Parts: sequence; structure tokens; C-alpha cells
Amino acid sequence: MSEHSSWPEWIYVGVVVALLIYVGAEAWNIERIIEHIPSDAEIIQVAGQQWFWTFEHEDGTKEIGELHLKKDHAYKFEVVSKDVIHSFNIHDYVVLVDAVPGRVNTVWFSPDESGEFDIQCREYCGLIHYNMRAKLYVDDES
Amino acid sequence: MTLEIQKPRPIWQIMFSTHHTDVGLLYLITSLAALFMGGTLALAIRLELFLPGSQFISDSMTFNRMFTVHGTTLIFLFILPFASAVGNYLIPIMVRYKDMAYPKLNVIAYWMIPPAFALIWLGFADFTWNAYAPYSVTRAPGPAADMWILGLKLLGISSILGAINFIVTILKCKHPDLPLSKVPLLAWSYLTSSLIMLVAMPTFAAALLMLLTDRLGLSGFFNPAMGGDPIAYQHLFWFTFHPEVYVLVIPAIGFMYDIIPRFSRKPIFSHVSGIAAFVLLSIVGFASWAHHMYATGMSFTEKTVFMIGTLSAVPASAMHVFNFIATMWGGRIKFTTPMMWAVGGIALFFSAGAGGVVNSAMPLDFMTHDSYWVVGHFHLFVMGTIAFGSFGFLYYIFPFVTGRMYNEKLGKIHFIMSFIGTIMVFFTQHILGLYGMPRRIFDYPPIPEWIAMNQFITIGAMIIGIGMTIFLINIIYSSGKGKEANMDDPWAVGGEKYYYPYQSKTPHH
Amino acid sequence: MIMIYPINFSLALEDDPGKYINRKAEVWNLFYRMMTVAFVIGSVVSGTLIWLVWRFRESNPKAKKTKYEEQGKW
Repeated sequence: MSEHSSWPEWIYVGVVVALLIYVGAEAWNIERIIEHIPSDAEIIQVAGQQWFWTFEHEDGTKEIGELHLKKDHAYKFEVVSKDVIHSFNIHDYVVLVDAVPGRVNTVWFSPDESGEFDIQCREYCGLIHYNMRAKLYVDDES
Repeated sequence: MTLEIQKPRPIWQIMFSTHHTDVGLLYLITSLAALFMGGTLALAIRLELFLPGSQFISDSMTFNRMFTVHGTTLIFLFILPFASAVGNYLIPIMVRYKDMAYPKLNVIAYWMIPPAFALIWLGFADFTWNAYAPYSVTRAPGPAADMWILGLKLLGISSILGAINFIVTILKCKHPDLPLSKVPLLAWSYLTSSLIMLVAMPTFAAALLMLLTDRLGLSGFFNPAMGGDPIAYQHLFWFTFHPEVYVLVIPAIGFMYDIIPRFSRKPIFSHVSGIAAFVLLSIVGFASWAHHMYATGMSFTEKTVFMIGTLSAVPASAMHVFNFIATMWGGRIKFTTPMMWAVGGIALFFSAGAGGVVNSAMPLDFMTHDSYWVVGHFHLFVMGTIAFGSFGFLYYIFPFVTGRMYNEKLGKIHFIMSFIGTIMVFFTQHILGLYGMPRRIFDYPPIPEWIAMNQFITIGAMIIGIGMTIFLINIIYSSGKGKEANMDDPWAVGGEKYYYPYQSKTPHH
Repeated sequence: MIMIYPINFSLALEDDPGKYINRKAEVWNLFYRMMTVAFVIGSVVSGTLIWLVWRFRESNPKAKKTKYEEQGKW
């Protein structure tokens, strides 16, 4: 059966491995860059529970179902859950982290556009999971 | 001529038989029943999502139960039993033994499936096929959830018993003249996937028991209110079910290794590299489970480790694709129905794999995680690759099982409709995910792009549904009334005899 | 395929307020780079497959018997 040479397969495997290394290195580098939380990021405490989101700003203001942020500021979300696992997601800003009971997960971002954005739950959490939504309002700095 | 195994017999003789082909037939019928039941649920889900708002399903709980049972049914009651069916039919023949190593154990393994099937369908649980704690512990309504847990428990035991049987049959019962390196690649695929199953499954079996005692309030392994850790459940779950993905896909690749050389009229390009890729995949498959959990707050280091683990599973899969292409190269390919399915499966295998690489690249996971991208990605695997391989192989063993030929024209229509439908549904779901639609939602806000894409997907799903109906009619009609197959060479391609069927009743020892 | 891409370490260390990394842009740029790679390879793979299917089909006028067919064994 071995009447053909095997070097095409080795070259092919080599190309595949090289591509994977490229993909892995790129992804690793970008992840390293975006995970670096700026030291002056404002902390927002996010609590998910069946089936709404609660936000608490650093100054103690609380918001339910909506979140007001300022453009070009950095925000660090500390996400917790009060019952089951939810997933805090602002898709337009690629912000995603699970809200896990008993843990505090963090994610940060800095909005660069003002306007209205959707906040949604990305992890199945029961009856009203499909409508566990909130609104993000990004205001221009006045 | 009619083979011994195809002579008409009363049904109880098949049901209470321990012969490997009879058990195979039972597995086959069960898996096809599950396919059509699970598929009906999929169509219902797609119809519901045709427009935002409630269409014909009145509440989200029903919807949640439907997608849970859809996933559970198609993974555990269609794909796995289908692989067992084929294995039961062919593994003893391929290793030239009179039966499976433990015929009675084989029957026991099969007969755990119907009760599990009943538990899952009568319970109709709602916590998705992952059953993530703590939702499954504290909030999921019983007794549906408990029935699902018990059903999966039975299926787990059944697949461990089946795996032991395959491993022993292949390693210990093969004919002394047949060295392991010469065992057909299909049998190698069963050997490696059974080994993965044997190593991976007990973890989930333990997790299920822990889940059950948690639900009963006896323990608090995964319940944070009692000091447990819900993430531990996800680790246990994915430690089983990421390798399980390979358990599902490896037999499908094995099917293609049988179909492609026969219809290309050439031997496999490299038997050795096929074996190497199977073994490699079954080892590195264990290094990637937590890539399902990037979003649970893993550290950068953990994510990096699991990204590397995931990427390292790619070369092994790529070697299979190379092997298929090199086998077809320079052949004289007869495009019968099984060959069309196999080639279609390879084409979609690449897209599924590429989507998987994107998911495992850490930052991109935060775009795709738990969105419709993921739904599209893994359906391309389970439908585009695994089910395509399985359908192709079902057509391929159809003459062996029934002694008759299926209708070739209907088989090709089934393939073409499924191929077009699969591309329409699952590629669009990738894009829908990039637009941010979360998976497992009953209703969605009326965003114009979401509506348009959902409607397109639903139309694609209907095309698959029509194709499957044709498939059902074809197999039912042909198994009773189809024209008799030429058992030496049903497709007139020449070459060796089709599956040495005469050996199936004659013991070698 | 050679891809040159600048590794920009200084970006990660910048902490001046008002000059934050644009998470969205970083991730989507990565996504488009990956998609470029994926679609290039995808077109090579599927192009090869389509050509194979077209060239080596039985009904192609250029199709000839494989050497294994003469032995009737493969």
C-alpha cells in the first residue's frame, strides 16, 4: 500500500500547524491587550437575577434595567449573580462575562460611541431568559 | 438470494435475540425513531422563531423544554445509537468473529435505551442538554429534571457497556490472522471512540449523581447556597462532553473511510495516517474541555492552556481530510448516494472546524459564546458531518440490512435538499450570532436583520424537513418493496465483495 | 502565505485616561483577520474538492480505470 511518498502529507500537516500557531499567537496577543484593565476604570457592580439586571455605580446610585455611562470613560464591571448563572453581555461592545453565584467576575470596556445599546443575558437561566434585557445609555460628556 | 439474517421472522425473535445483527437492527430502528422525533422538535422550534413574538407555542417554558429534548434526543438517542447500530452490524464481521465479545451485555446495553428514551420524553425537562448548575439544582421544575437525570444515567451506563464490548471485540476477538494494524479504519474508529467513551463518561456519570443528590437536598456540590461551586459542574460536564464530541465524530469519519475508497475505486491513501489521526485525536481531545467555559471568569493562563489544547486537536482532523482528498485523487468516482453524503460531509467538516478555531481563539469567543454562532457551528458538526456520514452509511448498509436496494433517485434528492438546507440554516446562524442573537431564546426583539435571517433559516429548515420526509418514505418503502440487491456488489462498482456478508452467521472458532 | 503584522506592546501599557484600548475594534479586527485566513483556506479546500469531484467523476470523458480496478481489489 505504501507505494506513494508521504511527504505531501507532512508538508500539509506543517502548513496546518503553522497556521494554527499564527491563529493562536494572534488571539493570545489580542486577549492580553484587551484584558489589561486601566487603573482609573470606574467600578460598576452588576447583579443578575431571574430575570433582570441591577447596576450600582461607584457613588452608590442604583439602576434597574438600565445603565447610564459616559462616553470615553473606562468602566470595570464586577458581575455577580443572586440565583443561577446568567451571562452579562453588551454585544455591540463585545462585553461578555458570566454572572456566577458565589463568584465575582470582571470585565471592562470604554464606550467610544454615544447612544442606546442592548444589554442581554446570554446564558440560559429559565422561564424569562429570552427577555432578560436591559438598556445601556452612553451619554456624551457634558 | 436472501441472507439468513434477512429472512422474515416474528418480531420477538429479533427483540430477544443476542445476535449482533439483531441488536444492531434494534439500535438502528431506535436511532431512526429518535431522529424523526428530534427533527420534528427542531422544525417546531424553527417555526416558532419565524417571527418575533409567540407563534404557536404559547409560553417560553414549552419552548425551553422542546429545545432541551431536541438536543438530548438527537445526541444521545440518534447519533450514539446509530453508531452502535453500525458497530454491531459490522465490527464482528470486520474482525472476523462470530458475534460481539459479550452478546448478553450487548443486549443489556441496548435495552437500557428504551427506558431512557421514555424518561427523557415523558419528563420533557427544560434545563438545556447541559443542565448547568445551579439552575438545574435549585430552579428546574421536577420531576422532569429528575427523569432527565435518570435517563442520562441509564444512557451513560449503556454507552460504557457498549464501549467495553467494542474494545474487547476488536482487541481480543479479532481473527489471529488479522494484525491490529490491518484492522479496517472503521473498526479503528470504534476502538478509539470507545476508549474515549470509557475514559470520559464516568466523570459525567459522577456529576449526574451529584446533581441528583443536590436536587434532593442531600448534598451541595454545585449549590452555592450550600457552599458548592457551580463551575465545578461545568468542568465535570465538559470533561466528558468535549471528548464526547470526538466520540460522535470519529465513527462518522470511520464511515467515510469505508465509503470513499469503495466508490473512488482506490484503496485508502494511507491506512497508517488514518490510524495515527484517530489515536492522536483521542488523546488530544482530552486537552480542550474548558474552551466551553472562557466566559465563566477563567484566568488568562487557563484560557491560554485550553486554547492551545483545542488548536492541537486540529491537525488530527486535518489529516483525515487530507486522506479523503488523496484517496479520491486519481480515482474513478461513482457518485452513488452514499458517496454524495460522504463528500458533502467532508465539505462541511472544514467549515465546522474553521468555526471551531474561531470559537477557541480567546477574544473571539466573547463575540460568539452562547450566541447563534455556536448553534450554527456545532450543528454544522453534528448535522453537516456526523449526520451526513451517518445517512451516507445508512444508505451504504441498507442492502446488507434489508437485502434490498433503496431508491437511488430519492436518496439523491434527500442529499441535495439536506445539503442546501444545511448550508442555508447553519451558515446563516453563524451570521445571526455575529449580530448578537443569543441562543435558547423563545422570542426576540423585532430587529429587521434578525427577523430576515430567522425567516431564511426557517425556510432552510423546511427544506431539510421535506428531504427527511422523502428519506423516511424511501427507507420504509424500499425495505419492504425495493428491488432485491445484488449482494456481491450492490452499486456495480466492482472490487471486493460487499462486506463478506456470508460470514455473519458462520462462527470462525 | 506570509502575514506581517505589527506586535504593538506599547498599546497595552498605556494608562493615560481618555486613551483606552477600543475593545470592540481590537476584537473585530482580529475577527476579520481570522476570517481572511479562513476564507482563503476555505476556498482552497473547497476548490480542490469541487475540482476533484468534477475531474474524477466516472462520467468525465477523461476518466480512466484505476490500476486497482484491473486487479478487482482495493
